[in-house]
Amino acid sequence: MVEPTGIIFNVQSFSIHDGPGIRDVIFFKGCSLRCQWCSNPESQNAGPELSHNRQRCLGVAGCGSCVASCPYGVLEPSPENLPHVRRDLCHGCGTCARSCPAQALKLMGTVVDVEALCTRVHQNDSFYAHSEGGVTLSGGEPLLQPLFAAALLERLGREGLHRAMETAGHVPWESMAGVCPHLDLLIYDLKHPDSETHRRWTGQGNERILDNLHRVCAMFPHLPVLLRTPVIPGVNDSEEVIERVTELACSLPSVERYELLPYHRFGEAKYIQLDRDYPYKGPSSIDKERVAALQRIADRVEQEHC
Amino acid sequence: MEPAEVLSPQEARVLQGMDDCLFSEEAQRKRPRIQRLLKTFRLERPRMAIERAMLMTESYRQTEGMPLFMRWAVALRHILENIHVEICPDELIVGRCGPAGRYGLLYPEVRCTWLEETLATRAEGKKLPYTLTDEEADQIRDVLLPYWKGRTLFDRHYELLPEETRKLLYEEGSSMPSFVVVESATERHTLQWILDFEKILKIGTDGIKAKAQARLESLDPCEPGNGYDKAMFLRGVILVCEGIEIFAHRYAELARKMAEECTDPARRKELLQIAEHCDWVPMRPARTFWEAVQSQWFAQAIYRLEHYTAGGQGQGRVDQYFYPYFKKEKEEGTLTDNRALEILECLWLKVAESMTMRQAFASPHKQGNAHYEAATIGGVLADGRDATNELSYLILESKLNFPLDYPDLSVRIHARTPEKFLSRICDVIKEGTGFPKLFNDECIIPYFLERGIPLAEARLYNVSGCTEVRLPNRDVYLTGHCQINMGAVMEMTLFGGRLSLKNNRKYGPDTGDPRTFASYDEFWQAFTTQLRYFMRHVLLQNQIFDSFKSGFLAAPFMSMLHDLCFEQCRDIHQGDQEGSLKIGFWEPTGFATAVDSLAAIKKLVFEDRVLSMDRLLNALQSNFENDPVARQLCLNAPKYGNNDAYADEVGLQFENFCRSLSHGYKTVHGGELDVRYVPVTAHVPFGRVVGATPNGRLAHEPLSDGIAPQQGADVNGPTAVLLSVAETQATPYIEGAARLFNMKLSPQAVNGPAGTRRLSALIRTWCDLKLWHIQFNIINNATLVAAQKDPQKYRNLIVRVAGYSAYFVDLSPDLQQEITRRTEHMF
Repeated sequence: MVEPTGIIFNVQSFSIHDGPGIRDVIFFKGCSLRCQWCSNPESQNAGPELSHNRQRCLGVAGCGSCVASCPYGVLEPSPENLPHVRRDLCHGCGTCARSCPAQALKLMGTVVDVEALCTRVHQNDSFYAHSEGGVTLSGGEPLLQPLFAAALLERLGREGLHRAMETAGHVPWESMAGVCPHLDLLIYDLKHPDSETHRRWTGQGNERILDNLHRVCAMFPHLPVLLRTPVIPGVNDSEEVIERVTELACSLPSVERYELLPYHRFGEAKYIQLDRDYPYKGPSSIDKERVAALQRIADRVEQEHC
Repeated sequence: MEPAEVLSPQEARVLQGMDDCLFSEEAQRKRPRIQRLLKTFRLERPRMAIERAMLMTESYRQTEGMPLFMRWAVALRHILENIHVEICPDELIVGRCGPAGRYGLLYPEVRCTWLEETLATRAEGKKLPYTLTDEEADQIRDVLLPYWKGRTLFDRHYELLPEETRKLLYEEGSSMPSFVVVESATERHTLQWILDFEKILKIGTDGIKAKAQARLESLDPCEPGNGYDKAMFLRGVILVCEGIEIFAHRYAELARKMAEECTDPARRKELLQIAEHCDWVPMRPARTFWEAVQSQWFAQAIYRLEHYTAGGQGQGRVDQYFYPYFKKEKEEGTLTDNRALEILECLWLKVAESMTMRQAFASPHKQGNAHYEAATIGGVLADGRDATNELSYLILESKLNFPLDYPDLSVRIHARTPEKFLSRICDVIKEGTGFPKLFNDECIIPYFLERGIPLAEARLYNVSGCTEVRLPNRDVYLTGHCQINMGAVMEMTLFGGRLSLKNNRKYGPDTGDPRTFASYDEFWQAFTTQLRYFMRHVLLQNQIFDSFKSGFLAAPFMSMLHDLCFEQCRDIHQGDQEGSLKIGFWEPTGFATAVDSLAAIKKLVFEDRVLSMDRLLNALQSNFENDPVARQLCLNAPKYGNNDAYADEVGLQFENFCRSLSHGYKTVHGGELDVRYVPVTAHVPFGRVVGATPNGRLAHEPLSDGIAPQQGADVNGPTAVLLSVAETQATPYIEGAARLFNMKLSPQAVNGPAGTRRLSALIRTWCDLKLWHIQFNIINNATLVAAQKDPQKYRNLIVRVAGYSAYFVDLSPDLQQEITRRTEHMF
């Protein structure tokens, strides 16, 4: 059988927010949701795409290697002397990015195989060993590449590493079921308990997400689950919402903890680099105290399940 | 998920406008004595202490023609008998080498022309970094300069150097370094050093004197090899031991006299106690903890009066040699932890009082009133078991509550360092003042084994300097090292041996026009030819210095404490003791600058061919101004510090080459020169004389420091940097020592208990990787930027510079900028 390959856009070492210890996080490309506050917009589309950093760019007049190198001729100078990518015609071949001396143009999305990724993450074995860390699959939605994710996780498990995966859960159950046996920790995101609101802010209802969550907890009772919600002002920052999710989590014994992540706007610059608008128009930050107060509600899960 | 902003405890204090915690209310309550002592000198400008110099000169005038060792013994004794004695209020540990307050000792026999400059500056009414009275200025002019001018260590060495070597080392007709190649041998008597304090504490100078006497009596002068030299050595030692006793007794007398006049009963009691100590130590074995600390200080005060080490006089393994006294008294109930700390902190203040005054012009390559008095804790015992004890914890924790910037606390880490100890270390590191620095037993002990040292002895090594280590009864090599500016070597390879910022002067050989090179190998050949050329002059300088200094310098006190010197009755500066370790070093300064430049040329010019050599040279000549595209290509070429196999392979090739330069070279007495990376702050002035380099660095910008990546070039996080450091370390331990490694982490990355565990895991992995040294700055870049703008508000901010920490606002703007530009690893 041919080893499956996957498409990822980053591997981040010394990651400390997605699972225990020191971890490498592998960011998968492609997502089934379009959360308006998404901080990784480059993760959303399944295929490779160009991002362009204006601050780094030397300009078409001063450099122009991208325009000259594009085999498809889809790059042209904009009135501000920057390369304009005609995204509808771009094939994502990455020729321009390779020719860009300033690395202002980058191709987000690289095809990788299991072998290459394993070699890469094993370089940090000693860090994992001492910190009880390991590897986390994130994205995007790793479960949109279920065969690749399963093959990778199975191999990493065989080679002794702790494996976590972050999912939004909006995937066919079979994908979830195929990957969970190879996990030591499941990090499960739930944006909102109400389906209509969920649809309004993410483009999809939450039925499948909730259904998958229940099934995972039933089918894999020994797989610890960390439930997470990004707290977005005006979307889900109310006691009522957090209370409802807490209630749900308390009913699922394998959910060990319910964690709230404060909204931040660090991803905004990346939208510009992808020629997109930042969809979320709410306040630019959230009060830390507010999140802390909500977290105290969510802490009930840990207290009850300990 | 990105973090919210987190501050280190130090940053939080500064931002809230709180006082330096050294002067906080809590400190006033818990450490009233130390507070008062600190205040007396912290705010005052240090004095230039000329008394030692005057006495030395007086003695030297009278001993012309006397054998060298005896001459130095007589001089030291003369100093000890006559130097002003003074006990300041509140002092528990007494004995000083200069006037009250902070002082810098003068050693005119090392260098003196800079004193002429100092007097001239003073005469113009300009402010000096040290206070000097009119009378003292006159004495320098009338006594010191007339005697020493033309006969100092520097002058003698300078005369002996070939013209060609001299031109590389100094600015035309001056003693100012060229910053192309810098020698440090003529700025001090000795490299960093450690005294065998345990010996002083256990047997005292009387013990040594008795041995010397017995030996002298048993010497048969008619037996070959036993003659005049040995007898003279032993007589010199006895003379010095007597001088030491006189010195200590002068303090005992003074204390007693002051006690009589003292109206405060508590202080009177203390003074009488001090008198009792000075009657007893350092002559006899210490009986109590307080006495042991007093004895230790006397030993290093005498050492400072004898020799100048330029800051690197290590405190040794303080948690080991003080422990028996601490333990005994704790068990007997005569000592509390607080009292022990108070006594130790009195010692640290004595260390801090005696400042390192550069015996050369106020030079920019060592900044921030550096103290490198490394105090070592942790590590293993001679039998390999963990050495930590209650005193280790006590000393460590005092750094957390009370972060004095001296001594430079150094912790030895090993595979079995208790987690409890390591997590306390992490807490102190997280405080954000750069303490402690860490040394790796798993790297350093094998290094000594490779040198043929028995395992049990290797396990007892001491941190002696910035990142250097010593075995106090085995090491004998004292000649200061040379640094070669690797940025300059790169520029000279590209431009026929010339340096653009030195008026295009030709320093190196012409290794050909690189436009004609057909391959990277050819470029590498040219580069190594340049480096070899400078190395040849470094070695020549080393040979000349080694050969002549044994006829110029002697150190009776250092030698009498050294087993091998004493047994063989041979002064340590002779450097040829049988069974000794004779290891010096040289340094390629700007490792990453060189490696990244080589990698860029290899990849861009010869492999990918996206940049012609001609275009690169034009771009560099214009400081990249006429070709920003070329600069971007250079900046984005493979960079060391990212766990990038391409750059790391070039790094390893470079390191191996440097070691090959060391290999095969023997010093005058058959010793060897390590490759070490201990730039202190030299990478800043070195950068100032180097034009743009192919790694994308602009002209004048600092070179990379130690073994760290070029500032800002490491973008893949701390794990990647550590792996790169490991990948470029040639695996045989021999010749590979003291790789100084600075890492800057954001407080967020180590926040909370989970952050402590993460930092501890990082350190464990560093230990696994068998890397020599690591030290941390835990700070937000925003804080450093703010401190540059508002120095008054941030006057108490301490940062890790090199092998030492210093107040950020004391550093030059260049160096502040350099520290700010080091990559801050966050997430």
